[in-house]
Amino acid sequence: MLFRNRHFDDKPVALEILGLSVATAGDDPVPILNAIDVTIREGETVCLVGESGSGKSVTSLAVMGLLPKGALEVTAGRIELEGQNLLDLDASQMRELRAQRISMIFQEPMTALNPVMKVGDQIEEVLDSHTKLPAKEKKRRVVDIMQQVHLPDVERIYGSYPHQLSGGQRQRIMIAMALILEPKLLIADEPTTALDVTTQNQVLKLIAELQESHGTAVLFITHDMGVVAEIADTVYVMRNGDIVESAAVETLLRSPQKDYTRRLLEAVPSLVPRDARPESWADPVLSVDGLTKIYDTRGFFKKGRETKAAQDVKFRIKPGRTLGIVGESGSGKSTVARCVMRLIDPTEGRIRVGQTDIAKLARGELQPHRKHIQIVFQDPFRSLNPRWTVGDSLIEGPLNFGQSKAEAMKHAAELMELVGLPADALGRYPHQFSGGQRQRIAIARAIAMRPDILVADEAVSALDVSVQAQVLKLLDELQEKLGIAILFITHDLRVAAQICDEVVVMQHGRIVEHDTAENVLSQPSHAYTRALIEAAPGRHWDFAKFRELSLHQTETA
Amino acid sequence: MLGYVIRRILAVIPVMVIVAIFVFLLLRLTPGDPAAIIAGDSATPAQLERIRESLGLSEPLHVQFVTWVGNLAQGDLGTSIISSQPVTRLIGQRIWPTLQIGTLTILLSVLIAVPLGVLAAWRHRTWIDYAVMTFSVLGFSIPVFVIGYLFIKLFAIDLRWLPVQGYTSPSESVQGFLSRAILPCLTLATIYVALIARMTRASLLEVLGEDYVRTARAKGVKEHIVLFRHALRNAAVPIMTIIGTGFALLISGVVVTESVFNIPGIGRLTVDAILARDYPVIQAMILLTSAIYVFVNLLIDLSYTLFDPRIRY
Repeated sequence: MLFRNRHFDDKPVALEILGLSVATAGDDPVPILNAIDVTIREGETVCLVGESGSGKSVTSLAVMGLLPKGALEVTAGRIELEGQNLLDLDASQMRELRAQRISMIFQEPMTALNPVMKVGDQIEEVLDSHTKLPAKEKKRRVVDIMQQVHLPDVERIYGSYPHQLSGGQRQRIMIAMALILEPKLLIADEPTTALDVTTQNQVLKLIAELQESHGTAVLFITHDMGVVAEIADTVYVMRNGDIVESAAVETLLRSPQKDYTRRLLEAVPSLVPRDARPESWADPVLSVDGLTKIYDTRGFFKKGRETKAAQDVKFRIKPGRTLGIVGESGSGKSTVARCVMRLIDPTEGRIRVGQTDIAKLARGELQPHRKHIQIVFQDPFRSLNPRWTVGDSLIEGPLNFGQSKAEAMKHAAELMELVGLPADALGRYPHQFSGGQRQRIAIARAIAMRPDILVADEAVSALDVSVQAQVLKLLDELQEKLGIAILFITHDLRVAAQICDEVVVMQHGRIVEHDTAENVLSQPSHAYTRALIEAAPGRHWDFAKFRELSLHQTETA
Repeated sequence: MLGYVIRRILAVIPVMVIVAIFVFLLLRLTPGDPAAIIAGDSATPAQLERIRESLGLSEPLHVQFVTWVGNLAQGDLGTSIISSQPVTRLIGQRIWPTLQIGTLTILLSVLIAVPLGVLAAWRHRTWIDYAVMTFSVLGFSIPVFVIGYLFIKLFAIDLRWLPVQGYTSPSESVQGFLSRAILPCLTLATIYVALIARMTRASLLEVLGEDYVRTARAKGVKEHIVLFRHALRNAAVPIMTIIGTGFALLISGVVVTESVFNIPGIGRLTVDAILARDYPVIQAMILLTSAIYVFVNLLIDLSYTLFDPRIRY
């Protein structure tokens, strides 16, 4: 069965949003939501999808009554929970209702949990706030819900702090906290975005399971179409504070009515790898051999403990080629990227850039080799200095290598056009650009050095799909024009399928599989690779073509 | 955890060694003859000789240092040049008023400042916030002695609520102690309250923007619990740090306050010793205040582990 295909028309309405408008507070209000309507029935999962800034999180916060005070306010409409308008309630009535009738789970379970409180106490606090149960009964209820969310070793985890748990366990704690009082409605704001695919899969299953047993209505906010295909009953597509389109999930994915929905779906990268490029006979520009990074956590009084972040990693990249390293968090893929950049020092192994082994060079000797290899980081909001103009950021590297300022500025202007931005924007600051534009600037900064190798560390992971598609296209064009080799680090198999010639799969610091993208994604030989592919949400659906993957591809992909 | 505590305690040793060396050299490296500096302009050669003798100034420097450290280890801080009494006895007589007033000041400051800071952060950008911030700027900028005399004028002379100055030991009369200690404590506390309230506000404002505060509100937790259980504990580390570093202000404030309120504490002892160039006493006071400062900050460092389970190096 491709979709859940359940019907709810005969079920009572749990939540109804009617003509809800939200605007910024102040003398000059800017509209954020424009009279949106959403209906969720008992036991139903409604997905709110849209790109960043579409208003999906604002919708959820408005329902919770948690819009930031003094910044956003509801200007019109009704939010009815089982027929009661929540906007008529005062602060303490609203507080009573939270966790009892509506609860919410958030994107990043690490920051959403209080770091200095034991997680058991954090769950128990919900009972403290809304019930007057005896201590023993409270403890029993907490242990019971912790078992329901399938946490192992409940007694130990009860007394643990958030930092002692894994990402998946933390999100289970959040879910336990949200569901302990059996609310009518659960709002889940990107609850799996910060998790690895296999963990994401488990958490999605858990939410579905608990929804089934408690009959909870779920409002699920996500930007990930794969997740939508996996869990939604009904989908609402949002854009700039408007609902563009809403329909049952299969209807929407098969025959989207609106242009925007079509474009959104077409931008979803396919899991089917792109066509192989012809073999290259050039010498590799980067060869890594036996690369090992061991972290030694040796204390003064403690016995030393070794963490093997990367072990015996080996690969080479030819000019104009892209090698992807995929794996989950903690697999060592970023460690490899940082070693190759010599941002951290490898414990062992060789890193040959052109003819030189840079693995053991001292800081000073390394300097002339830096320009051959450049990096683009994940978060374009943090990787550009906010107090520098874009021009300053672009010319810093070339100036360090002896270019004159005039020459560097001229080159910077050309680079801006190369990455699809106006050359006269050089005098502006990073905050004046969108996320996608900033990532273009980060790429321009990297190629300003005319490197042979570009390391992209999750370089498109923080971007919306439509922007992601554009940036991937840009990288492809630059590679074509400049013949750069790209080392592409990603957790996202769909992205890897679209850009990589070869794929290396890492797990626990070791390479478990290394082959062409085609072979890794279509005929994975290692069990871990297969598990990764199976966990990828919506893997049976070809979003861009609005239909299921053809039989041959479904079997293998 | 235990390892952290032990390491933190061991780290105190080098600091104290450096302070001790500095204190030792303070007298010996002053240009000219230390004995002449101590004795003043009108000293006779015999007096000079006596001073040299009592300080062991004729020995080579390293021998002097070893003797000095040896005496120090036995609790012998030397003899006061002015009163010819052992310095330890002088300090022993004068330290209690200072410790009592100091402790009371810290308690008072934290009890006033933390709620003020929380209130200002909670009511961010309202008149309450602005009032707290204005008070804070005033607290910083008015000198301690001015505040002291203002309090005396207002509460002791005009309103006649409290005695003007003096000191009564709590073992004699608790009421008498409190009535005389309250003004000096408030005087000392002003700048400290200003500092801690400001830090509490800033630290809490940052924490109130964190996701887990949103989570607590989404759970329907009452607002005062959000503030005090969730936010304040997470904001505690910078607040504790400022309480520790601000302790230096307290030490210098004690000197002024004891003079203003005529309290026989070690602050007055220090002032008298400086005016009389009583070097053994000055040295002992520097050692003592440094030791207290280092010890208080050690306690503060150790307290971090109570607030934040992640700090267990």
